Amino acid sequence: MRKGLIATGVLLWLVSTLYSAADTTEKLLGDESDGSRAIPNHLIELLIADPIDENKVVKITPDDKPLLPFSTRQTCGACHNYKTICSGWHFNAPDPNIPPGRPAQPWILVDTATATQIPLSHRPWPGTSRPEQLGLTPRKFLELFGRHTPGGGVGEQESTNSDEITREFISGKLEANCLSCHDADPAHNQSEYAIQAARENFRWAAAATCGFASVSGAAKYMPDDYDPFMPMPLEHPKLVPPTISYRANTFDEKKRVFFNIVREVPAERCYFCHSNMYLVKKETEKWQTDVDVHLTAGLTCVDCHRNGLDHNITRGYQEEGIVSNNPLVATSSCQGCHLPEKSSSTPVAGRLGAPVPKHPGIPPVHFDKLSCTACHSGPWPAQKTTLVKTSRAHRLGTLNVNKSPYAMPHIVSPVFAKQPNGKIAPHKLIWPAFWGVLKDQNVTPIDIEVVRQTAGEIFAKEKLTVSGGWLSLGAEHITEALKKLSSEKSVNGKSVYIAGGRLYFLDETGKLCQQDNHPAAKPYLWPIAHDVRPAAQALGVRRCEDCHSPEAPFFFGKVWVDSPVQGKGGVFRKMRDMYEIGGPVYVRVNWFFKLLIIGVMTLLILHILGDLYRRVMLWLANRAK
Amino acid sequence: MRQTSGTKAEEREFFQRFGLQFRVQHILLFLSTITLIITGVPLWCLGRPEYGWSQAVVSAFGSIDAIRYIHRAGAAVLILVSIYHLYYTMFTKEGRREFIELLPRQKDVIDVTINSLYFLGLLKYRPGFGRYTYYEKFDYWAVYWGCVIMIGTGLVLWFPGVAARYVPWFTYELAAEVHADEAILAALALFIWHFYNVHFNPSRFPGTLLWWHGKISREEMMHDHVLEYYKKALAQTKSKGQKAEPQNGTTV
Repeated sequence: MRKGLIATGVLLWLVSTLYSAADTTEKLLGDESDGSRAIPNHLIELLIADPIDENKVVKITPDDKPLLPFSTRQTCGACHNYKTICSGWHFNAPDPNIPPGRPAQPWILVDTATATQIPLSHRPWPGTSRPEQLGLTPRKFLELFGRHTPGGGVGEQESTNSDEITREFISGKLEANCLSCHDADPAHNQSEYAIQAARENFRWAAAATCGFASVSGAAKYMPDDYDPFMPMPLEHPKLVPPTISYRANTFDEKKRVFFNIVREVPAERCYFCHSNMYLVKKETEKWQTDVDVHLTAGLTCVDCHRNGLDHNITRGYQEEGIVSNNPLVATSSCQGCHLPEKSSSTPVAGRLGAPVPKHPGIPPVHFDKLSCTACHSGPWPAQKTTLVKTSRAHRLGTLNVNKSPYAMPHIVSPVFAKQPNGKIAPHKLIWPAFWGVLKDQNVTPIDIEVVRQTAGEIFAKEKLTVSGGWLSLGAEHITEALKKLSSEKSVNGKSVYIAGGRLYFLDETGKLCQQDNHPAAKPYLWPIAHDVRPAAQALGVRRCEDCHSPEAPFFFGKVWVDSPVQGKGGVFRKMRDMYEIGGPVYVRVNWFFKLLIIGVMTLLILHILGDLYRRVMLWLANRAK
Repeated sequence: MRQTSGTKAEEREFFQRFGLQFRVQHILLFLSTITLIITGVPLWCLGRPEYGWSQAVVSAFGSIDAIRYIHRAGAAVLILVSIYHLYYTMFTKEGRREFIELLPRQKDVIDVTINSLYFLGLLKYRPGFGRYTYYEKFDYWAVYWGCVIMIGTGLVLWFPGVAARYVPWFTYELAAEVHADEAILAALALFIWHFYNVHFNPSRFPGTLLWWHGKISREEMMHDHVLEYYKKALAQTKSKGQKAEPQNGTTV
């Protein structure tokens, strides 16, 4: 009896172990590599979810009426686990369970008419606001910023607003666009994605980027009762419904379409969202600048920024292992590739030909206090910071971009500041400027629409600059706007304006006051990683004086303070203010020694004076005798 | 012990105040300290744009590396002399005697009070001092404290990696701040206070070579260390009664 029980127990344990060990997730064709390094051919059917039953998939053929855009969720998802892919870093920003990691480039909401530039993020990075705080629903967010997203994430968030649900039926969702990165077709046009996002043609956006499809019309202007799956003629003759056409010969005899898909994403695809233009000179052209030293050496972005099916891409900073389960994070940072790991059983340094740096003559404290990027990344620091344009902030690569160097938002760089890990690194910086509500020393931004409607007419009197730069705000504008906003019902608290590192508010008498160094007015900074300069152009290559001299920008450079407020913009702060040592212990020690020096020296000098005084008195007395 | 010379000009009586070991330690201490101040101030000022001249000093030394090496060489001498001083005070008779003489006593507090009243003209006479006045004891203990702080923080700055492993609470920035602050205090105390007391006060101006030969005149002895003078006179009287008079040139 006892033996029987033991045998049953062992059997049950074995079964449960084997069951739990078995991979219960169904592996699709493209989810697991067979080991071949060749590029798989993607001659595949175009698929879309059945509009009546979402669980059913419908094949698209050239004779369909109406002709519909293919869905990446269905077309790519037939062989690749779409849900797993969408858990990756490029898609998971709205997921509150994802650790935010090191602060990175935010989205920047710019509204020149209300003198606003404010960093936004779905991730809880300190110094950013959440889009909904500014009144940006997922739909509005996509209209503004969908252009430089790869879809998925916010693009597929369910709306809770009934009006938006209706509109969503017309425009569709902005699905993860696999082609944004993996389409190697030279005819791929990512700027089409921006056009379609602005027209709310979310369902058509991915297909529109393909070389074999073109999209016209705008879902944005369709009436609420418009049905894209059974389109009826529109009453207004000038309205053009969203329509797709596929180039002739796109489909083969089996109604399949060839996609030029590559596993390893070309750097040019990354550049669409990750380009930087440092306005070192007034006219900066691409031919005047060099690319990252790694690209020059023949690497591509994805050689270091790698991921598996889950698209949990390595971001490449030193502490990433704390928040990422990507096994390559440890060996994908600067140190991971370039520095030998003593405890490793196999050599991991020097991957991809990475040279091991010798850093001759550089005191080791530099490696404790500086990130690698401090000396090696970004533009060579100048006496004053420069403006930089980025793809995501300035819509680079899309149609009708404002090419003025002063186009908003104003991002300042390189700014040497401390990272959360305590190391100094070069950063990009933005001075937030927005209208907000002050409550318990916290400032919450006011819905941008509320600001426009309440105080818009005050600013309308002022002329906007041709370059798209700041509106010029005087004290009277701010005072009037704050008074109007305070009387607005939806503004629950004391209204304030933040710009150029200052907080503006009205006192009890209605007089405009300002407070420096309010936490909400602090600039938002994010580290520069690229372009990496070669060793021969790293800080310190011309000896210590590159940083340790009275003119060295590293310590004494001037950081531009950007503000629309008259007389406050165009001033500078010292670079070292950005990483001045702080902390209560340090401050107390500093004060203790100051007082000690003053106290001790005062007593000693009094002693000397007393001695001298007495000697003089004695001398005078002797002389009198 | 006292020495008396025959000629009229040299009829001053001298006492051997400091022995060779003491003087060598003092010479090494002030040479290293002055080197550290000369090289340390420009290094400290490099981080401050308002002191542009520091770049010129660095250039005069050749480079930051050169000035840093000299600073560290000075630091090494200071560390060695500090270690030797510990040995001297613990394991030599002379060292132990000097150390005991330098310990603060209740009399020092009384001396400070009396001397302050004397400075203010409220008392007619200065207090009588023993082998070490209270301000000499202050000098000694200020250097003692200063060496502990400067060597401790200096080692953290010199070997930040090791320091981070063993004293992580003592950050590099904190060490740099304490090192600089204590150095400022030490330099000010040295050049203003100590130099006044030993070189620049009216009775010694333009300076003394006591640090070199270790001898002090009878007048100085009577003025600054009268109690020691009488103590030694008493000891001599006693020894005269018991033995023959001590030979010139022997240590008192």
